[in-house]
Amino acid sequence: MFDYLRLEVRRTLRDTGFVIGGVAMPVMMYLLFTNLGGGDDGGWKTASMVGMAAYGAVGSALNTGGGVAEDKVTGWLRQLRVTPMTPREVVLGRALTGSVTVLPAIVTVLAAGGLVNGVRLEAWQWAATAVLLWLGSVPFTLLGLGNGYRMTAQTAGVANMVCNLGLAVVGGLWFPLALFPGWLRSISPYTPTNRFAQLGVSVTEGRAPGLGAVAVLTAWLLVFGSYAVVSYRRSARTV
Amino acid sequence: MSFRGVVKTFGDVRAAAGLDLDVACGETVALLGRNGAGKSTAISLLLGLDEPDEGSVALFGGRPEESVRAGRVGAMLQDTRPVPRVTVQELVSFVAGRYPAPLPVAEALRLAGIPELAGRRVDRLSGGQAQRVRFAVALAGNPALIVLDEPTAALDVEARHAFWESMRAYARRGHTVLFSTHYLEEADAHADRIVVMDRGRIVANGTGEELKRSAGGHRVSFDLAGRGAEGLALLPGVVAVEVLGERARLRTDDSDATVVALAERGAIRGLEVVPASLDDAFMALTSHAQEKI
Repeated sequence: MFDYLRLEVRRTLRDTGFVIGGVAMPVMMYLLFTNLGGGDDGGWKTASMVGMAAYGAVGSALNTGGGVAEDKVTGWLRQLRVTPMTPREVVLGRALTGSVTVLPAIVTVLAAGGLVNGVRLEAWQWAATAVLLWLGSVPFTLLGLGNGYRMTAQTAGVANMVCNLGLAVVGGLWFPLALFPGWLRSISPYTPTNRFAQLGVSVTEGRAPGLGAVAVLTAWLLVFGSYAVVSYRRSARTV
Repeated sequence: MSFRGVVKTFGDVRAAAGLDLDVACGETVALLGRNGAGKSTAISLLLGLDEPDEGSVALFGGRPEESVRAGRVGAMLQDTRPVPRVTVQELVSFVAGRYPAPLPVAEALRLAGIPELAGRRVDRLSGGQAQRVRFAVALAGNPALIVLDEPTAALDVEARHAFWESMRAYARRGHTVLFSTHYLEEADAHADRIVVMDRGRIVANGTGEELKRSAGGHRVSFDLAGRGAEGLALLPGVVAVEVLGERARLRTDDSDATVVALAERGAIRGLEVVPASLDDAFMALTSHAQEKI
């Protein structure tokens, strides 16, 4: 299965769309959003760094599902079924691929924060932020897999993009929540993206992540996990 | 490998309507039929990609899934597109690595006739090259059985020759090969045995020679020269009558008797007697389907 993981990670990293959309875009947006207004609002540079790293991680995680949909269309999943690999290994390998391919986005945005924007954190804070963002991306990988197994390549691509942009904006990954109207501000804490970013933000502020964030994310993990399992079962009959 | 009374229905199409078939180890068998005859369904059932509604399919004495898990089977499936963003070497060595006793990758590529493509990206090859990569993928694990679903569908004549050369080299190593095709000549030239499928059934099973014999040994054709074709079907030996414009074509299992009878009727202008081709045999075996069209 390690071989499968390696093969799929390689394939993902060779995908120009992934590299631009999942890694380059969040970095550029981060640098743009934090340097346009001028002034030296250190707090926003840090918060936005976490937000954009989260946004990049969500995009990369969802992209895994796009890869699955593509593999369904090309017949690669079907071909795997006539090798000795078990379906469980294939699904698990894909999920692990997702968790590896979120790393470039997280690492690059954090690097941009530290090197370009001069964000200063303790070493443990950098490490904890990266690790928490990494772990917190699992629900989104599952959401992507659910879409990928259920839909055609095109629909899955669109669905992933809508999920990505919608959740990013509503969750406050792009703009601070303070700019939102009241009703949106009250929805935001229930979105997985908002709580996902909170994991990182709390660490940069020197606190442990709140129980609320962990609870909401766990709930979404279960929802998206079930969604992925149901979608996979449904597709297993046709792949 | 064996099929016992296998039935598989998709909606109201009976893609397998009671298949019974045995293939022994080391045989090269062709599954021959028109498009939609049920070849791909039979192959999906054999590989465990589909479950039969009735009957049973066994591979190496067990369930197909078990043989697949044990690495005894390699397959080249129909309608698969090249895997994007991976090189030939990466793909073939990955698949080989899944099997307990694979071929060395270089050997697999050599057998498939594509040693020079190792470093190329699979999604940037020509159709024929991609097809041979799929063949390399099928044999990479050195499985005892390889199943090839319409392996030459996208190939030009030259690539087709090269492909069969490779396939035979693999079969000569004592492996069992099952391939499907709708090209008669391919089935005749490259298989030990031909299984003819039509509308989900097996309508014939034997060597090319046997099929030709079973369908009527010779074809007798002559100019009608204004006469009607009435009564021709009743002549001795005649099993089928076909009229093409001014020319009648009789398929007969006793060409001597047929010719004598024709001579008595004085109907021997432009007379020609040739051994029935496999085409004739195939048409005869699947003719009821033809009538419906």
